[in-house]
Amino acid sequence: PPDSSAGGQILRFITFHSSVDEGFWWRLSSLKLDTLGLDQSPVPITGFYAPCSHAQVPNSLKLMAESLPDDLSEQSSSLQMMNLGNRNKCAVPGTLYNTNTLESFHALDRGALLRMEAKKIFDDIISGKADENSAVLSRFLLISFADLKKWTFRYWFAFPALLLEPPATLVDIQPASKVLSLEEAKSLSMACNAWRNSNMTAGVAFFIASIASDAFATIRPLKDWEALKGDGQKLFFSFYDPCNLPSNPGWPLRNFLAFICLRCNLKRIHFFCYREKRGLADLEFSLIGEALVSLPQGWRDPHCTPKAVGWEVKPKLVNLSASMDPERLAVSAA
Amino acid sequence: MVLTQKLHEAFKGTMERITAPRTVSAFKEKGVLSVSEFVIAGDNLVAKCPTWSWEAGEPSKRKSYLPADKQYLITRNVPCLRRAVSVEEEYEAAGGEVLLDNDDDDGWLATHGKPKETTAIEEENLPSMETLEISKDRGVQSIPSYFGGEEEEDIPDMADFEHTENLVETDPATLQTSYFVAHEPEDDNILKTRTYDVSITYDKYYQTPRVWLTGYDESRMPLKPGLVLEDVSQDHAHKTVTIEDHPHLPGKHASVHPCRHGAVMKKIIDVLMSRGVEPEVDKYLFLFLKFMASVIPTIEYDYTMDFDLGSTSN
Repeated sequence: PPDSSAGGQILRFITFHSSVDEGFWWRLSSLKLDTLGLDQSPVPITGFYAPCSHAQVPNSLKLMAESLPDDLSEQSSSLQMMNLGNRNKCAVPGTLYNTNTLESFHALDRGALLRMEAKKIFDDIISGKADENSAVLSRFLLISFADLKKWTFRYWFAFPALLLEPPATLVDIQPASKVLSLEEAKSLSMACNAWRNSNMTAGVAFFIASIASDAFATIRPLKDWEALKGDGQKLFFSFYDPCNLPSNPGWPLRNFLAFICLRCNLKRIHFFCYREKRGLADLEFSLIGEALVSLPQGWRDPHCTPKAVGWEVKPKLVNLSASMDPERLAVSAA
Repeated sequence: MVLTQKLHEAFKGTMERITAPRTVSAFKEKGVLSVSEFVIAGDNLVAKCPTWSWEAGEPSKRKSYLPADKQYLITRNVPCLRRAVSVEEEYEAAGGEVLLDNDDDDGWLATHGKPKETTAIEEENLPSMETLEISKDRGVQSIPSYFGGEEEEDIPDMADFEHTENLVETDPATLQTSYFVAHEPEDDNILKTRTYDVSITYDKYYQTPRVWLTGYDESRMPLKPGLVLEDVSQDHAHKTVTIEDHPHLPGKHASVHPCRHGAVMKKIIDVLMSRGVEPEVDKYLFLFLKFMASVIPTIEYDYTMDFDLGSTSN
């Protein structure tokens, strides 16, 4: 545990929330009936989120019809291409395990599934894949059992997060507008809005904000971390924050810290939790924080299986018989 | 009643197939929009209010007269902190407030007040709709959703999960929150919060935009469409807001019926013009959303933004 005499407290992250549209279950049902049959192989799916834009509610990771491929031969990359430039739908890669029975749903080895997913994240950081495609830092897992006789869907989400041991220590966290000068905040807002308005970058949820001594802010893609290192500018590791709380960052920062720690070899990290109001950068709502991290011992070995957490506390159950059951629909229409 | 509605829908469907979409502007004369004007107004909404975006929707439901990537507009995860009933009570307590002058009081523009007597003319103009029951208990305490009592028993006992590895709750760096808490900086009250996805489609028959509400309860489970009626103005809950098939999304969704949209938009445009403001067609959706705000007073989407709604002649 971190030394409490240093005055540090553990940096705590708000869990990611999930929200599944009716459309997702419709598509899954027809996929199961028409294509999957009894096949229980994992299916690549895509979740979507956006920076928090209403102070009253966190943003959630959303699954909708298009989260599932129309047919399984379709690559998820085409989906990402389709949504490229939709600033309100940043793609997060996920894996679905849909089981045929309730028993096999409960029999799934959730620990092993999570470790497998965490290993992917770890490998993508080490290999440099995350430099190019930062979306792989926020993977998710969904296990489900679709009872197509009763039109009920049981499901359980995990948002795998690599565990820093010891946990990151929080030095400071404040509204960005309090940390930056007025000029810096203005310049950073403009740079963020430009990033969010460009089709090429709007859906890229991780980036680096750099502020020069003349208060001029620029946004750089993650892969530029090496070039930016030690150039004397203020660097903020930035991400689209789905969280709405004034003193805690959201979940995507966890694997981002792992990235910074593993890849950039930094111990003192300045981060920027990017949030919006009415679709524009809001630096009073966005947070800037400082944290201390240390590389977990085991992570020096690139073949290690890193520890991770991320299963939601409970499974969920949704009953869509009122809108999906053909018999019930026939009765209500009579 | 349902049969009348079905007949009307069938009639409307046929009319839509045989009528060419409007291409000539009747914006100022009738308060309606052509397909291309809808796209122009939508582009402007997305540009000015970036929480809105265009969607392609289900490929099988694509309308050929709209661009494939601009089938409808949507803004997601919009908080709805209170039920409409409580909002209306507040308005009444405050003495009420009227959006626009409205001589012939057709019930559309009132943002407040007890449900009015339905006038005969309105009854005739409306397609018949199945009366939807609202539960007497409209308090925010109720958490109605797709969960039924019997189904909850179906949830496996928590003891089954005690051995589960990697749960977030055992991790010191995880801060558990639930949806049950809405963060309201000015208010110490902890509120339960529903959210909505608000979408706007083009209704070819009425030649106007049409608003759809997809609700989520306090734990982000889909909300039964009927419960959405708790969040619309009670003047409209039983008349103009209906539960229907969404043209681009699966399932039933609540929608503000567009039969009177053209007339009301025409009235709003007339009021603006009488004040020397020349409304521009690309601002149509801003005006439209302000109008919708009177029907859906509780949902806090971006209609509150102030816009220059047209060119001022004086």
